[in-house]
Amino acid sequence: MSNMVTQRNGIHRFFLQLGSKWAIIFLILGAILFSIISPGFLSFNGIQVILINSPFILLLALAETFVIITGGIDLSVGFVMGFASVVSAKLIALFVVMGMNDLFSIITGIVITLVIGIIPGFVNGVLVARLKVPPFIATFSMLGITHGISELLIKGVVAKNMPVLAGKIGNGSLIYIVPGKTVSFFIKPLIQRGGNLIEILPTVFVIPFIFILIFAFILKRTKFGQHTYAVGGNIDAAIRAGIDVKNHLIKIYMLSSLFATIAGILYVLRYITGKADAGTGFLLDGIVAVVIGGASLYGGIGSVWKTIIGCFIILVLENGLRMLGFPTFYKYILVGIVLIFAVLVDKLFPELIHKED
Amino acid sequence: MNNNKNSTLSVSQRLQSILAKNWAILFTLIIILIFSFTGKRFFQLANFQNILHLSTIYLLLTASETFVIITGGIDLSVGFVMGLSSVLSAKIIELLHAANFPPALSISIGSIVALIVCIIPGLINGVLITKYKVPPFIATLGMMGIANGMALIISEGFPVAYLPRVLPNIGNSYLIYILPGKAISFFSKPKGIAGEEIKELIRIIPNSLIFISIIIFILWHILKNTKFGQHTYAIGGSMDAAVRAGINTNKHLIIIYVLSSFLAGLAGVFYVFQTGIGIYTSFGAMYELLAIAGVVIGGASLMGGKGGIIGSVIGVFLLGVIENGLHLSGVDPFFRYIAVGLILIVAVIIDQSFPDLL
Repeated sequence: MSNMVTQRNGIHRFFLQLGSKWAIIFLILGAILFSIISPGFLSFNGIQVILINSPFILLLALAETFVIITGGIDLSVGFVMGFASVVSAKLIALFVVMGMNDLFSIITGIVITLVIGIIPGFVNGVLVARLKVPPFIATFSMLGITHGISELLIKGVVAKNMPVLAGKIGNGSLIYIVPGKTVSFFIKPLIQRGGNLIEILPTVFVIPFIFILIFAFILKRTKFGQHTYAVGGNIDAAIRAGIDVKNHLIKIYMLSSLFATIAGILYVLRYITGKADAGTGFLLDGIVAVVIGGASLYGGIGSVWKTIIGCFIILVLENGLRMLGFPTFYKYILVGIVLIFAVLVDKLFPELIHKED
Repeated sequence: MNNNKNSTLSVSQRLQSILAKNWAILFTLIIILIFSFTGKRFFQLANFQNILHLSTIYLLLTASETFVIITGGIDLSVGFVMGLSSVLSAKIIELLHAANFPPALSISIGSIVALIVCIIPGLINGVLITKYKVPPFIATLGMMGIANGMALIISEGFPVAYLPRVLPNIGNSYLIYILPGKAISFFSKPKGIAGEEIKELIRIIPNSLIFISIIIFILWHILKNTKFGQHTYAIGGSMDAAVRAGINTNKHLIIIYVLSSFLAGLAGVFYVFQTGIGIYTSFGAMYELLAIAGVVIGGASLMGGKGGIIGSVIGVFLLGVIENGLHLSGVDPFFRYIAVGLILIVAVIIDQSFPDLL
């Protein structure tokens, strides 16, 4: 091994550098390819569409990033998201019926949901950390339990009757520009029918993005983040280093549930319905994004930014194929291939992993 | 290693250990007893046969997952390989049927081709896991996406429905039909029975039960009594020890994943026989997770080295009885999901609180 390191010449090193960044190169090449073959892809609207579709996968992948770095896995996030969407939709509708004003009932509903949504994560954490249930089983159980409870809450249909304001928030944008006239934030200016209005950065993307910024910082720069890597890298060493591993794991699973809950709330704001299976398709995409981003399921490796790159690889594939008129079917195949490729790259060129940070 | 312990075990410790080891079957018996009181028409031959019939697919998937989990791996692709096989076999049968092939020929060609094709995902999984050291979770997760996409492309997102009518007849008929005091026939309903009489018809032993019993017996035998089975446990117990003992672990693991995929393919073909249509697996179906749940309830450990076919079969029955019993007791069907979750947690906690004493 050490021989190989000393024998590296400049070109070799350059390719290693390049190889360790294969995910972002792949993302850029994919984006370029799609913009060449489908003209609408790189347009202003094309990018906005990707951003609008991004929040759920981003949040669930963020949740998985933390859990996977500790060496665990959280299968429950998809149905916790559904659970949160049902609970928040029910609560908001209830508050409106009780005669509260729309904005106030939305805010109250969201806050209560955030508190309730942490519970599944807390139970997961206790099961994993204190009762030594393998994460796969504990979170799969929680998947069943949250699925059951949310279906019971809505009796198998969807939760509706949301105030119009909820949809306005969820489908709004951060910046509105009426060319040559006004610029406003969050509030859609009144314009004439057919008038020109530019909407930049959908709210449903801005909210997860803020969380990503905060938690990328937390994972990289704080003690909490260091401990997360330590627990995943070597749990015995972490215990000997004086880290309260059990509490840390409980916090990680609560965090994971919290992100899933936020995803559920965004789902309600965007689609003005709460559905028990709102997050079914996003769970696997989330895990895949984390792995494409270079994390190891054995723990200790991974980062928020690389996960985001993984997310956007999936999103670009999905949107690009859709714009070309392919059915979504091909996306599943391509994502599967990229996933296996991601791990193969690391296995075939082990030098790549250690080139970073 | 256990010999020392054995001599010092007290009676109560032994009893606890036996109870802990067999809790799943005890629990199944208890809930059968409870449902017999609460459930309408629960404790009847017809209903038990129904539970068995509907469990066939899960039994196949769980059996495949049992082998993989004993080696310490996991196969997330089984549910979607099943969908692929179901869609592929149905599509071939549909095409041949439309080309006026005799039903028997088109059905056998379709089934056999699908079964052969379903070996491929397992082969790829096995090679990725052994030769390229891709973690089983990821290799099979990737394969899951690929199989899902393939199934959707073949079926174009719709059920494959124009199949010979004889298909569901084979899949859903029984070995013996008895019309009390009047007629008895095998494999098909007695001819010329009137509308009212059909209510009195007693059906015994569904074809699916014969089919699954043979498969399960073979798999049980392989795992329990053959060198292949021993090696499977050895690999799961300690990979290094297995390598040092001269087992060709790579080849063995590839065979295990091929077997897993093949059984999933079999489940897909059976699904066509059962429902008369070929359909891709929907995202919410979670067949693979329920199969894993069955294996874990049956006493296997995701760390490998532990588990068995009998345990897995009990695990599947437990889940089947719960689903059926809750339904017949008039409980909201969604409680089933919660029940599965709770039982799974209980299974693991019992397993960990009572380590193998015997």
